[in-house]
Amino acid sequence: MATPSSEDGGDQRLLTDVGLVSWSSFLAACMASILFFAAVDPQLLRDAGPRIFDNLSREAGYALGFFFFWVLGAAAAALSVYMVRSAEWHDDHRDTERDSD
Amino acid sequence: MHAQLTPVAPQSTAPSFYEAAQKIYPREVRGRFASKRRFTVLLLLGLFYGVAWLSWNGQQLLLFDLPARKFHVFGLTLWPQDFVYLALLLIIAALSLFFITALAGRVFCGYACPQTVWTEVFLWIEHWTEGTRSQRQKLDQRPWDLEKVLRKCSKQLLWLSLAAYTGFTFVGYFMPIRSIGTGLVQLSLGPWAVFWIVLYSLATYGNAGYLREQVCKYMCPYARFQSAMFDKDTLVISYDEQRGEPRGARRRGAPPANTLGDCVDCTLCVQVCPTGIDIRKGLQYECIACAACIDACDDVMDKVGSPRGLIRYTTEHAMSGKHTRLARPRLFVYGALLTFATGIIAYSLLTRTPLILDVIRDRNALYREVRGDWVENAYSIKVINEDEKAHHYRLQAAGIAQLELVTPAGLIDVAPGSVANVPVRLQAPAASAQGVHPITLRITAQDAPSIVRTEKTRFIGPQS
Repeated sequence: MATPSSEDGGDQRLLTDVGLVSWSSFLAACMASILFFAAVDPQLLRDAGPRIFDNLSREAGYALGFFFFWVLGAAAAALSVYMVRSAEWHDDHRDTERDSD
Repeated sequence: MHAQLTPVAPQSTAPSFYEAAQKIYPREVRGRFASKRRFTVLLLLGLFYGVAWLSWNGQQLLLFDLPARKFHVFGLTLWPQDFVYLALLLIIAALSLFFITALAGRVFCGYACPQTVWTEVFLWIEHWTEGTRSQRQKLDQRPWDLEKVLRKCSKQLLWLSLAAYTGFTFVGYFMPIRSIGTGLVQLSLGPWAVFWIVLYSLATYGNAGYLREQVCKYMCPYARFQSAMFDKDTLVISYDEQRGEPRGARRRGAPPANTLGDCVDCTLCVQVCPTGIDIRKGLQYECIACAACIDACDDVMDKVGSPRGLIRYTTEHAMSGKHTRLARPRLFVYGALLTFATGIIAYSLLTRTPLILDVIRDRNALYREVRGDWVENAYSIKVINEDEKAHHYRLQAAGIAQLELVTPAGLIDVAPGSVANVPVRLQAPAASAQGVHPITLRITAQDAPSIVRTEKTRFIGPQS
């Protein structure tokens, strides 16, 4: 089955993918932050981490950690979506070729 | 002909992140279930906005104090070391959800989910400022005039105010609410507190004002996997197809035509649906079981003189004329797990020792020779008094013959809910302390001998 290839449909799908990626990684980042910061005090980063963390407050540590997990999760989710979508594209492409033969 | 009534889609102001979503104008509904939902919504909102301001012994009743890394839960103070309690509480919450879902379907979605609760309030505001469903539809289609600007602006003002106060209250469960309240008034709030308040306010505004049913349809994982908890004895909202079909309108006062079912095809059940589905097409994953369609249909059945319950809470078994079983293995399994988890948390909270001892060996030196033929090891210990009153603790060490505690010489005093970092020095004769020896440090509250903690560590002496 060919997918709608109109500009509109493509934009809509891109938005859907961005939404899926950011939302699922947001949930994952929430879980990761809870688990990680239950065990680790962000002030450890200030005391033991690299020099750039010297003036890090605990609140900033939490936020930094949360966004770090979010970006990491988003990267993994984006890669998953990319793999699925590109496989779909190749499948569709093959179908089209066969149809036109 | 009765054309299926489809939601009117004007130039949608909603950011449609997903498939071309049409704006849904849920019609206001009155009835048994609407009253129940109104009551639950007010109760839950009252709890959310109210509990944040309650105190217990001068301490906020419910506060997950992230900056201080201490959780205050109804008079109990939990430390990061007590994370297991929090994990257990989350497991209990999840199991309760499974249990209730298997028993009564998506009642959580329809009555208690924050998404439903705030969407409901935002709809009330929309109703006050822009009027009923048809008035709102007309307002959106008419050109911008003074009345439209005024109505839209007052709606936005109320929405934003409520969203901002919600964000403030939410953050107030993670930082002491009184101090962020003072900080807000005096404009001295830290940047991160402001950041989270703004973020949560915007999330509330977007979710309850615009995304609404799309959160349930596209974003909620629970909506997707709740069917795994469903079986044919689960309470669902269903249209009685045998009774209703063939549907069709009838003239007022005319005797019921034998050829028609009870459904008069008024489409009110579709108009009131917050997710915009037609319940007559069967159970759909978009249905959040809010029962608005039941209220609407019961009202119509009363008017046309047919019995209520054309749309009703029922089970798949009951609908097909079979017996509904309440007691079934699934429920017993969820119930047993729930009882087990609750038992564990109750037991461990009741037998909890309000004292934590952390021992860290001094990293700078393995050992030091003192008094000629004795060796000394240094440690630093962290004593956390989780009790609500101050205690004096005595430290003891054991594991090697003639092991002596040099520092601290006296008792360790720790205020309630505080941490004491204490340097510890132990000495033992070199003859009995060669190599690595496992030892134990034991700390006991002088005034309450039941409060006791023992930790293992090592004592290192010269190699033989």
